[in-house]
Amino acid sequence: MNIAVLIKQVPVSNDVSVDPVTHALVRASSEGMINPSDLNAIEAALVLKEQTEGKVVVFTMGPPDAEKALRDAMALGCDESCLITDRVFGGADTIATAKVLAEGIKKYGEFDLIMGGALSADGATGQVGAMVAEYLDIPHVTEIQSVSYDAEEPDKVTIIKKFQGLDLTIKAALPALVSVNFGANEPRLATLRTKRAAKSKPLAAYTNAEMGMDPEKVGLPGSPTIVTDSFEPESDRKAEFLTGTPKELAEKLKELIETEKGKE
Amino acid sequence: MANGICVYAENYNGKIEPVTAELISAAHKIKETTNEPIQAIVAGSECEALVDQLTQSGVDEIYAVKTDRDCAFQDDALSQVVAEMLKKIDPSSVLVPATPMGRSIFSRVAVKLNCGLTADCTELLVDKREDGSYYIKQNKPSFGENVFVTIVTKEGYYPQMMTVRPGVYTPYEGAGEAEVTYFEDISLPESKIEVTSAVPAEAETDSILAAEVVVVGGRGAEEPESFALLKAFADKIGAAIGGTRPLADTGQIPFQNQIGQTGFTIRPKICISLGVSGAIQHTEGIKDTKLMVAINTDENAPIYNIADYGIAADLNEVLKAYLEL
Repeated sequence: MNIAVLIKQVPVSNDVSVDPVTHALVRASSEGMINPSDLNAIEAALVLKEQTEGKVVVFTMGPPDAEKALRDAMALGCDESCLITDRVFGGADTIATAKVLAEGIKKYGEFDLIMGGALSADGATGQVGAMVAEYLDIPHVTEIQSVSYDAEEPDKVTIIKKFQGLDLTIKAALPALVSVNFGANEPRLATLRTKRAAKSKPLAAYTNAEMGMDPEKVGLPGSPTIVTDSFEPESDRKAEFLTGTPKELAEKLKELIETEKGKE
Repeated sequence: MANGICVYAENYNGKIEPVTAELISAAHKIKETTNEPIQAIVAGSECEALVDQLTQSGVDEIYAVKTDRDCAFQDDALSQVVAEMLKKIDPSSVLVPATPMGRSIFSRVAVKLNCGLTADCTELLVDKREDGSYYIKQNKPSFGENVFVTIVTKEGYYPQMMTVRPGVYTPYEGAGEAEVTYFEDISLPESKIEVTSAVPAEAETDSILAAEVVVVGGRGAEEPESFALLKAFADKIGAAIGGTRPLADTGQIPFQNQIGQTGFTIRPKICISLGVSGAIQHTEGIKDTKLMVAINTDENAPIYNIADYGIAADLNEVLKAYLEL
């Protein structure tokens, strides 16, 4: 089974503020990492690959330094990677992002399954996966716990998804796209040896010279939505402060807990 | 010309989801300025029963499609139905619950209509363009919740489509009788998705998700001595232990117990937060607590914006004193 995994490089810290004059976002740190739930998607993909043979190709769209996220993914066991990077793709909303990712996947080759993390730690829209599926005209299931493959039913995968206290079993015909919840599995770690191996694994870079997309239909011009303003949330301090010696504080805390426990 | 504020009536198993009433409230706020009709769209196999639940919900018009089978999670097919409905109705805006179901269906609808989809709005404001036409300023949190951004659907793209976060708008108290239209000519296409079973999830009694009392540790509790006190305290009050990402990264709590945007959302009755700064990507994961007490030496820590009570003292000393009570 050949699997494409879509990942996003997100800031290590969500510590941003708004410049009072320009209203631009000021990031505390530019350090990036693989979005946490994407690691769960990679883990699920690697398990399927080990079971079915085939390869896992990891894709990302972003600035050139997103290569680091792809190398990190290959250090975890992904076989190949593809960096989609071009200034004309910048400023894209979810629609314009999904359009380019779908095109990149099509250009790269054929895949049985496309995977990604359910939500990103920064934008957290949870939309890009399903949009990619629509652009590729394949079925999708979002926010899943697990996906498995049975050779007796080679044209399908079986998915477990939690919904309103239920465990749903869902079968999706291949090719399909799934997005994996954070915490759905325990991602493996890279070792020195696998990190070294990742350096020589194939990394394709697609700019728009390779993709040939209409610049008016991608990036900011191709986005139906636009960010017009940013602002910091108003502080609304709510807590009532307790004071006293540690013993007095502990007693007050105990009273609060016991009173609340006593309520129905 | 596009006209109407359209609300997606999310439903499962023949029941309209309660969040729909919140969207109807949001639609009424928009209507105060634009005076457009409020429309509900609904599709499902038990369509008449769904429509019955909507007729007195405070919408002006209901548009319905009866499907020939239960189509929950068959979003490849259902999104086609919804897109066709919206083409016929031609609303100026569409409000969708920011739920797993809502964003899954409407991500596909947004591609089919090439109209965009703003995620997870917490405030919708109406503004006027120079030519007198109205548009919606869609405010939403970004980067955890450290900043808010205003998103606008570019002129010429219709409908303006957005998901609205549950729990932000108060449910609308229904009134009036809605006009109902069934689209007989729209049918559900084949789907490549099949739900083969739905069984109640195993009771997760020892799981943090089910716990009524939870102690949550943050960076301020990651020293082994502090964490040992935290554990003893949790034992004493009968609480499950959760943590923020920095604590999970130390390996002292299993990753299954990480709470927040990149972890789980918990709904305990009582939450005691120890050494947590309260970056919103964590506090997002704690909802509906009846009592939340935070202990953090930094009086300006954002955790105090959501806690009911604050103790700006050394958590080690307070916990030691508690254990001696």
